[in-house]
Amino acid sequence: MEREEKQTETAAEREQRYNEFVGLLARHDQSIRRFVRLLLPSRDGVDDVMQETALECWKKFADFTPDAPEKTVEEFIRWACVVARYKALSWQRDKGRDRLVFRENVIELLSVAAMSDLDVRELERQAVEVCLSKMQDDQRRLVLSVYAPGQSIALIAAETGEQARRLYSRLNALRKLLLDCVRQQLAEELGNG
Amino acid sequence: MGDDLRGLMFQLIDGTISSEDFKRLQDAIESSDDVRKEYLRIVNLGESLTEIANEPNALAASPERDAPTNSGRPRISIDTFAVDLNSWGKTVAASNANASGLAASAFGSGGDLRRWDLRSPGLLIAAAAVLMFVSGIGFWFGQQNESRPIDVATGGDGDAREISEPQIAGHATLRRVVDLRWSKDAAAYHEGDVLPDGLFQFEAGVAEIDFFCGASLIVEGPAKLDVKSDWSVRMLEGRLRANVPPAARGFKVLAADAEVIDLGTEFALEVQADNARIEVIDGEVELRGGTHNGDHLLTGQKQWLKGGQDNAVSLQSLSTIDDVQRRCNDAQAERFAQWKAASLRLRVDQRLIAYYPIAETQFERTVRNSAASGGNFDGQLVGPVNRTTGRFGVESSGLEFDRPGARLRTRIDGEFEAFTFACWVQIDSLDHRYNALFMGDGYENGEPHWQIRDDGCLMFSVMVDDTQDVRHFNGIDQQVVRDAGLHRVYYTEPIWDVAKSGQWFHLAAVYDPNGRTVRQYVNGDQVSREEIIEKFHIKSLRIGAAEIGNWGQPFRQTPWFSVRNLNGTIDELAIFNATLTSEEIHALYEQGKPLGY
Repeated sequence: MEREEKQTETAAEREQRYNEFVGLLARHDQSIRRFVRLLLPSRDGVDDVMQETALECWKKFADFTPDAPEKTVEEFIRWACVVARYKALSWQRDKGRDRLVFRENVIELLSVAAMSDLDVRELERQAVEVCLSKMQDDQRRLVLSVYAPGQSIALIAAETGEQARRLYSRLNALRKLLLDCVRQQLAEELGNG
Repeated sequence: MGDDLRGLMFQLIDGTISSEDFKRLQDAIESSDDVRKEYLRIVNLGESLTEIANEPNALAASPERDAPTNSGRPRISIDTFAVDLNSWGKTVAASNANASGLAASAFGSGGDLRRWDLRSPGLLIAAAAVLMFVSGIGFWFGQQNESRPIDVATGGDGDAREISEPQIAGHATLRRVVDLRWSKDAAAYHEGDVLPDGLFQFEAGVAEIDFFCGASLIVEGPAKLDVKSDWSVRMLEGRLRANVPPAARGFKVLAADAEVIDLGTEFALEVQADNARIEVIDGEVELRGGTHNGDHLLTGQKQWLKGGQDNAVSLQSLSTIDDVQRRCNDAQAERFAQWKAASLRLRVDQRLIAYYPIAETQFERTVRNSAASGGNFDGQLVGPVNRTTGRFGVESSGLEFDRPGARLRTRIDGEFEAFTFACWVQIDSLDHRYNALFMGDGYENGEPHWQIRDDGCLMFSVMVDDTQDVRHFNGIDQQVVRDAGLHRVYYTEPIWDVAKSGQWFHLAAVYDPNGRTVRQYVNGDQVSREEIIEKFHIKSLRIGAAEIGNWGQPFRQTPWFSVRNLNGTIDELAIFNATLTSEEIHALYEQGKPLGY
């Protein structure tokens, strides 16, 4: 009798917990995904690591006990990022023979750096939009077209008849311009804040 | 930090870095916190640019992008959870296969998750959340390298006029028919009709159907087709010849258990109860499904799709477009001749006031009144009236009034006891609020106005007392409007909409002061009948100066005039000083109807 009651209780708790988990994951998967991307040398593997991370987080969600309710979100992201770092390491270990795999120490160092300014990534993304809008049309088009689905420098070079090498150096100059602009934007924002 | 190192980071992101440089870069990352910070910034810049480049209109010329705030993104809240759809959209993953794998294994490893959401209504929120989770992940995985979903927060360009843009449902046009007999209980169509999806069936004759994709079918009856889309049709019974121009390559005809995909030009198909066969007349088709899946047939090649017999007659004998054209021309010519004979009989009808058989007239600026009853009521073309094809094909003429200055003026003096107006008209569109058929100039006492309102309602009216200043409530404008003079407009229900553009209609209006009724007809059938009440009763009718296809107001006090020209063609108009019976009007329709009616 007593046991049955206890089980019911567990189910109800679980339901609530699952609710909470889905809500947190749905809202913050992007932050976690960005973090994962920073630890891997390319986009390859980000999906796998995210998938592993989501499962592991759910398995261990019972252990997630935020210190203060108002800090739940922040702590959830940090907690999930710790799980993600671990998953990123093991993913790379599995892919060890591939050429483009970071050394474990590099991943550790990057994860520490990324963890220290998790909230900066979204600010940077917003700053990129502002900076793009300040660019000339053709510059903006070049930068974006490289990142558009199915595009590459080689393709654009073939289309425009321009030398890939020259396009590449123009693109790098523009990216540097954007980086400087973003840095300046963030400095302004923090200053205003 | 040097450009050299930054260059390596760009190379890593672009996937062009060498192993040696990759090692160098890792060394640098390990050795300096600043390098690490810069590396994170550069990777994040690449991610941000990818997200932005994936947005719709990302490459549009204008830099006027919305201010970068979170508020511009769609949020859907479920109870206390706000799920940022956009973040799902931005996150990228492998494939839907993986997605379902994750969803399934997430539930599996979570123990009883899957059962929870179904067990009790109290778990509705959980269920909703689960759904969001599942669909969210599906969405999330499906979004890789695709544009963002439509931004519901900004809702597009917000052009309110777009909401009322007219739309027609359909996939093909019935271009021509010859000797067509419709099946009982099946929908019947006219030449020029837009064909919706669904069955198209006839007992005998030939129909030429142009699909919107550009493919055109000549179908010989008895035939039964199921129109599927702009690009495909199922042939249930009958014989067809398909002509597929380059623009329509890929057009598909489904027959028996196979799909016939045309890779260019022409093929013939016959479907009967026990067999089905195809023959390529010119070009190439591909067969999919059935026993011949993957086969390609070239010019001259034949294949049984079902059943089969050795002594089948070649499908080459099927009607070609030229055959249909010829048969159509022959049939048109015959119809035209029949109408001319009927028209000659009509001219001697003593009840006629005026009769304009425009269809048989030549290219002159005068349109003769052909009524034997006499009266010099010839019409004169004024302004840019186009002579165009009448309802019996190119051999016949019609007058097109599609420009505001186009008019056919006449002057019909006399006093009349009753009116019957009848005309054949092809309406391209109802561009103006009122679109003229026949209009007395001054709209003085006893004078008629016959027109079509922009919503497709026919209007017939006679001025009763032009000295009165009448105010009445106008249902369309929902306000009281001032009318110059006492008159009453008799309306029909809408008889026309844009789907009927280009079709010929026989319209008639009977104004009967003695019987105190107004009757109106479309294609020989009465569509309205209204009593003339005492207040609007007038015995003495006149016409005077008047116009066909427009409204002339030569005596107006201002330079402004109402634009009421008919965007369409009229090729016959008769006015009687009498009330024709419904039978007589139906007979006029029967004698004058074009091919395919």
